[in-house]
Amino acid sequence: MSALMAQILRRALRSLWENLYLNLVATGVIGAAVLMLGVFLMVIYNLNAITHDWAHDVHVSAYFHADVPVERRFEVKEAVAAMGGVQTVRYVSEEDARDYLVSRIPETQPVLQDLGAEVLPSSLEITLTPERARSPELKLLVAELEFPEIEEIDYGQQWVERFNAFLSLLKLLALILGGLIAMTAVFLVANTIHLVVYSRRQELETQRLVGATDDIIMAPFLVEGFIQGLLGAGLALLATLAVHSWVILRLQRALQLSLSEEPLRFLPLDYSLVMLAVGVLLGVVGAWTAVHRFLAKAP
Amino acid sequence: MIRLYHVTKTFGEQVALQDVTLKVSKGEFCYVTGPSGAGKTTLLKLLYAEHTPSEGKVMVGGVDLSGLTRRRRPYLRRNIGIVFQDFKLIESRTVAENVSIALEVLGFPRAGIQRRVRAVLNTVGLKGRERDLPRMLSGGEQQRVAVARAIVNDPAILLADEPTGNLDGAMAIEVIEILQAINLRGTTVMVATHDVGLMDRFPYRRVRFENGRLTREEKCRL
Repeated sequence: MSALMAQILRRALRSLWENLYLNLVATGVIGAAVLMLGVFLMVIYNLNAITHDWAHDVHVSAYFHADVPVERRFEVKEAVAAMGGVQTVRYVSEEDARDYLVSRIPETQPVLQDLGAEVLPSSLEITLTPERARSPELKLLVAELEFPEIEEIDYGQQWVERFNAFLSLLKLLALILGGLIAMTAVFLVANTIHLVVYSRRQELETQRLVGATDDIIMAPFLVEGFIQGLLGAGLALLATLAVHSWVILRLQRALQLSLSEEPLRFLPLDYSLVMLAVGVLLGVVGAWTAVHRFLAKAP
Repeated sequence: MIRLYHVTKTFGEQVALQDVTLKVSKGEFCYVTGPSGAGKTTLLKLLYAEHTPSEGKVMVGGVDLSGLTRRRRPYLRRNIGIVFQDFKLIESRTVAENVSIALEVLGFPRAGIQRRVRAVLNTVGLKGRERDLPRMLSGGEQQRVAVARAIVNDPAILLADEPTGNLDGAMAIEVIEILQAINLRGTTVMVATHDVGLMDRFPYRRVRFENGRLTREEKCRL
């Protein structure tokens, strides 16, 4: 490490120690902002995970016209099985459909007996690969399924689209809120570091007069911001873990939320790294803003 | 070393310096004198690029300061030591730390800094006071710390703005003697002062300012 780098690091650590209270405040502000981001990320991540799980369960039912011969139905089944994105195809005859309905709703048995076996159409029950199960991919696949032998296709289109729209809205909301939180955090961190800058203005003024470049004056503060950001985000990550294990899981159990069979998950490594990076960015941008303000006022 | 050509400096309507032409040679000791508000401090601030001239040209060490960018300014200041009337010492730093700040910003290694700081404190008569805080020193000692900080990186020019203004007679003489010794090593020294007694005791060249104009020059009478 060069002598200058060592000086910068030493000055940063010294300033952190000498302005301990202000630096703790800045670290706390970053921590609070990153904690909010972390909780939000956790909600988004789990919703994504749940929809991913649901995507596995997307079934498309393609109902045959009643007059299509059985051999032709199997030919269509083979054609569908050969399509990209189709995981499994099961042929459900009229009898199978009736048996399934009766097994689910026994009260329908007398009515179905009166109406005869053909009242329920035969169909193909198609499961899709998760990639294909998402709109608009799903719509394309449905268009491919429109054989002349098929009378109707049902895939819960509206429900899937509404849920995806809701998820997109939630992500947009997260983005807007995250942006607002980040701006507020930068403002608060910049003002807190500005107080540190103000308390050290005599030293900075002297540095300027003895030939320190703006970069040399700025560098220790950026290191301080980096350390504050890393510490704040690290604490926020621990707090998010605490929120996950003490609040979210208990809430899920207490309310018996059955959005997913799995318990709601904690953030994976890449999301945690994003939190740390955001913390560091807040600290560094806050420090840069504060020192830049000071230097801009200098003649 | 220092040249001013028809320099005028105004602050809004107020004229601080008017049509000043001046030359200070390398290795010269020169007083800038005159009453308060005559333009002495403005002149020194132009030389270390704290101000830019409204008109005219300022050259320091061959560099035209009118074309000096903010980014290049620190490199000019590394060749100029500055001493202020109010010392401008950092209260929370020790004597050694106050002096070493001028070397730290240049990226000197720690061991080298300690060696040079010890040597320069010895030169200004503050050996053994390295760990003291400024408040533990007398006014004269504090000004000697400021001088040590100004010369620790061997600048070509030393500018002192009323360096004895806050000191009593004996302490003022001590400080000027130190500046004299620095000048004898080849450093160009410019001292802004209105202390006639001191200038008579150390009779170097004087340039007198009144209302922003250079009104009189007296050559060195040594």
